[in-house]
Amino acid sequence: MTPSNDLPIADYVKSTAAVLGLPLDAAQTARVAVYLQRTAAMAAVIQAVELPLDEELVEIFCPAAFPVMYDGRNEL
Amino acid sequence: MAVSVAAGEVSARELLSASMARIDATDARVNAFTDRTVTRAEREADAVDAQCARWRQHGNPADKPGPLAGVPYAVKNLFDIEGVVTLAGSKVNRSHAPATADAVLVTQMQRAGAVLVGGLNMDEYAYGFTTENSHYGPCHNPHDLACISGGSSGGSGTAVAAGQVPITLGSDTNGSIRVPASLCGVWGLKPTFGRLSRRGTYPFVYSIDHLGPMASSLDGLALAYDALQNPDPLDPGCHALRVQPVLGTMADVGSLRIGVLGGYFHDHATPAARDVVALAAQTLGAQTEVAWPDAGLARAAAFIITASEGGSLHLNDLRTRAADFEPLSVDRFIAGALQPVDWYLRAQRFRRGYRDKVNALFEHWDVLLCAATPCAAPVIGTEWLDINGTQQPSRAAMGLLTQPISFAGCPVVAAPMWPGSTNGMPIAVQVIAAPWREDLAFRAATMLDRAGVAGIKPVNL
Repeated sequence: MTPSNDLPIADYVKSTAAVLGLPLDAAQTARVAVYLQRTAAMAAVIQAVELPLDEELVEIFCPAAFPVMYDGRNEL
Repeated sequence: MAVSVAAGEVSARELLSASMARIDATDARVNAFTDRTVTRAEREADAVDAQCARWRQHGNPADKPGPLAGVPYAVKNLFDIEGVVTLAGSKVNRSHAPATADAVLVTQMQRAGAVLVGGLNMDEYAYGFTTENSHYGPCHNPHDLACISGGSSGGSGTAVAAGQVPITLGSDTNGSIRVPASLCGVWGLKPTFGRLSRRGTYPFVYSIDHLGPMASSLDGLALAYDALQNPDPLDPGCHALRVQPVLGTMADVGSLRIGVLGGYFHDHATPAARDVVALAAQTLGAQTEVAWPDAGLARAAAFIITASEGGSLHLNDLRTRAADFEPLSVDRFIAGALQPVDWYLRAQRFRRGYRDKVNALFEHWDVLLCAATPCAAPVIGTEWLDINGTQQPSRAAMGLLTQPISFAGCPVVAAPMWPGSTNGMPIAVQVIAAPWREDLAFRAATMLDRAGVAGIKPVNL
């Protein structure tokens, strides 16, 4: 794929880069758009997968390790 | 090597001198090292020699030599080394302060008696499979200096293959231990995700990063792996609760249920890569072709998560110092930072169901086999690869066969093998087991080692 600012995704690159404060010239915008276009093709494949509601991300966060000793209320 | 040091047959100082001499003689051609820790290495070697002398004289248990007594090793330069700037392959990090402490795994190696000789070249911030580093120069494959060593732990593979050190440490997010192990022809281990502490290393993708060893022998790989284990409650990504050594289990090469991955893994392997998988399967008596679930989807999801987390991690520097980044990867980092959040979240949600499918597969199999790279090492600077008639971008394609496996967190031993059709260049076979079953992967790898079909070969340097 040849870098080009004619790619539809190039407009997205320009606008989101501006929001994030990333200074991109025209040549770099075009190159970044090529990469993002490739990733978009991969994302489309994942988008097509029907994900059950219980496939969630809660495992990322745990407030603290579950106590394994007496905690003042229960023998654990 | 460690046994000889403990017995006084050779000193740690002598092993260090031999390692340093080999590095002096070869590194200008292979470019594996970015830092050398000579003073520290001499101090560590002398401490090991003194300890071994006390042990031989008094037999005090406190002086018993470690399992890696006097063994020289080196680490990818994203590991913190006290007093050394953690470059992570970058120019940007040169302005950082030197590390104030060693990475946890460096401490583990020191406790085992190993002697650290330096830091190793890599792709900038681990975002690559080729170690064509524009700041520090490319690594050159010791088996053919015109070719890549693979990456991102390219220096780690190169240093072992060149005979500079027998053990190195690397990191593997999408294949960065297994790819250089494959292309350099050395043993490599990507442990289960969450097995080894990552504290004190420069991150790339928090939710996929692994660390592990590479070695010139399978026994050396096991020794290093056992020495590195130490559950770390201070690393939120370390899920291991106890040490599970493999060294004493490897001799049990009894019956294992071994399958060969077909479909995606066959389609993305060139004939040479298929040949080594077939030889490994024949050696292990594996005949059944097995379908790995959703391999293509997993690679896509891993690609998206990698780009997004990597781009986010470096966003501040990308705003102000993009010109100082690696030209080969800076645009990918920026593209990752711009990805819609829906892509990332769906990829992470997909990962959970994917993990469950992979784990279910291992109810029927102990070990599964596939190639580690689609082909042998290409020439440095190669942009496109022909993989069975399809043109693939070279720098990304090297991870085609490794990404789906690490995305499920499974442990893999990369066993170096030697196809007959690659002009002497190696390709590794991935020996894959269920999460937390490194022992099974080591048992199958031992069978390949003993049969003489896997192992390293000397280089002419």
